[in-house]
Amino acid sequence: MFFGLPFQRNPRLQMLKNVVLFKDLSMHELGMVDSLLHERRYLADEVIFDEGEEGQGLFVVLSGRVKIARPGDARGMLIEFDPGSFFGEVALLDQSVRTAQARAIEDTHIVALFRAEFYSLLQTHSAIASRISFQLARVLAARLRQAVINSNEHHMAP
Amino acid sequence: MNRALAAGPIVWLGIILTTCLLLVLFQSMLWLVMPVLMAIVLYYIMSPWVNLAMSKGISRSRAVFIVTMLLCVLILAVGSIVEPKIVAASHDWRDKIKQYSEVGMNLVDKAEQTLKHYFSFAHSSESPSPARPASGSVGFVANEPPPVSSSDNLENDVSNLPAKYSGDIARELAHWIPSLLLVPYITYFFLLDGPRFKRFLVQAIPNAFFEKALYLFYRVEDQIRRYFQGLLALTALDAISLGVGLWFFGINAPFLLATIAAVLAWLPYLGSIAGGLLVVLVAAHDAPSNPWLPYEVIALFILVRLLDDFVFMPMTVGRSLRMHPLVAVMMILLGGAVAGISGLLLVMPVLGVVMVTGQILGELVTDERVMARYWHARELRHRRARADLYAD
Repeated sequence: MFFGLPFQRNPRLQMLKNVVLFKDLSMHELGMVDSLLHERRYLADEVIFDEGEEGQGLFVVLSGRVKIARPGDARGMLIEFDPGSFFGEVALLDQSVRTAQARAIEDTHIVALFRAEFYSLLQTHSAIASRISFQLARVLAARLRQAVINSNEHHMAP
Repeated sequence: MNRALAAGPIVWLGIILTTCLLLVLFQSMLWLVMPVLMAIVLYYIMSPWVNLAMSKGISRSRAVFIVTMLLCVLILAVGSIVEPKIVAASHDWRDKIKQYSEVGMNLVDKAEQTLKHYFSFAHSSESPSPARPASGSVGFVANEPPPVSSSDNLENDVSNLPAKYSGDIARELAHWIPSLLLVPYITYFFLLDGPRFKRFLVQAIPNAFFEKALYLFYRVEDQIRRYFQGLLALTALDAISLGVGLWFFGINAPFLLATIAAVLAWLPYLGSIAGGLLVVLVAAHDAPSNPWLPYEVIALFILVRLLDDFVFMPMTVGRSLRMHPLVAVMMILLGGAVAGISGLLLVMPVLGVVMVTGQILGELVTDERVMARYWHARELRHRRARADLYAD
């Protein structure tokens, strides 16, 4: 429990290095972030979080696939996340409720970054936290842009 | 994270019962609880410094080592300054205790005389003293020893205390020293491995409760941190106010006395009485020519206690625990009743942690959706475990 592998031989760090959120971090910095992450394993069809629940942080998919959906919504699945992607990021920024349900499509290995621990990272290692925040902002902007394009296409469709 | 958690009467009953049980348990293992408690206080004093060092790019292990070493150096430096004074004072501590007890008795006698002088009821309520000869008597019988007043008895008892209990005190000190030596050791590992230990505990939580459990850990840690930081701030405020007042009255070592009184006040009720008694005795001893000084110091002490109860406490500890004042007072009394002095000392932090844990656990087990998710996940795991178990 208290002993870890060297950075270069740690497979979890290698996986984290491929996550867009952490791509600007060195292996040493990644090790620091890794010490804040909580590892979870979900079976296929297991619910990760529910719509309406109070979110506490974001989840990063290390292996497996996750779908985001609104139960009872005619559109079914809203989006799917593959290894290297992350979801639930709004909970990292504020204390809002989850707007949809996350469920593992297959056996899934994820890590979670808790909001309070991200705030403590902002205080103790502001350079690392600001690089993560910058990547988060870029991804959020891209998702917003895509949502606007989708919305426009939806309205323009005959 | 300031969401108010509502708990029903059954949850509250569970919280109170658990707090009482823990207090009884802690009373039986005080040798371990006290060092852990002191280590938690030190942890919250030192963790901002560790974070500061880490923000400069130093790794956690190095930051903890540096800060712990600096603390040890500071303790040794303070010890080397204070130790000669303590050794010098310890040579005549029996005489000192006798002097202070005499001063105390004189103060009681003077207070009694003043009361008799100003208030007639003090005469009427006085019980007949066995020392006073009956009317018509010519005096004491020559062979009988002179009668001793009750205050003289008390004075003798107090003067004999050091001789009577010095062995017990030495035994108690020998009993506590190994426990106190644990404090820096526990603090070091709290600082070094606290986050890893937390992750280790969270790993054992089922997936359905994961986010709520994270929130629970955050709230419990926040509650403990707020309580101890509030207590330290309260102690500092008490010590400064009392110290300034004692300095104004010209008492020796005002801030040291005020700090001792403020630390004693960590023990509800009894600590305040002990602190007040200490300050008044020193005032009476230091200024025998000014008979009103002890009364002025008592007034100052009461003023500081009022400030503590109505201004400082709500600003610091009260705000940190977010607890109704009536609940706090009732729980202090209950803690004293079930676990004596240790109960008085421990009831507030224990109640704070049990309260948050109970409220969130109550919320979890009454949330049907979360429980359904837990049983669903268990069913998935059972199904996976049973797969291929039976031949077709």
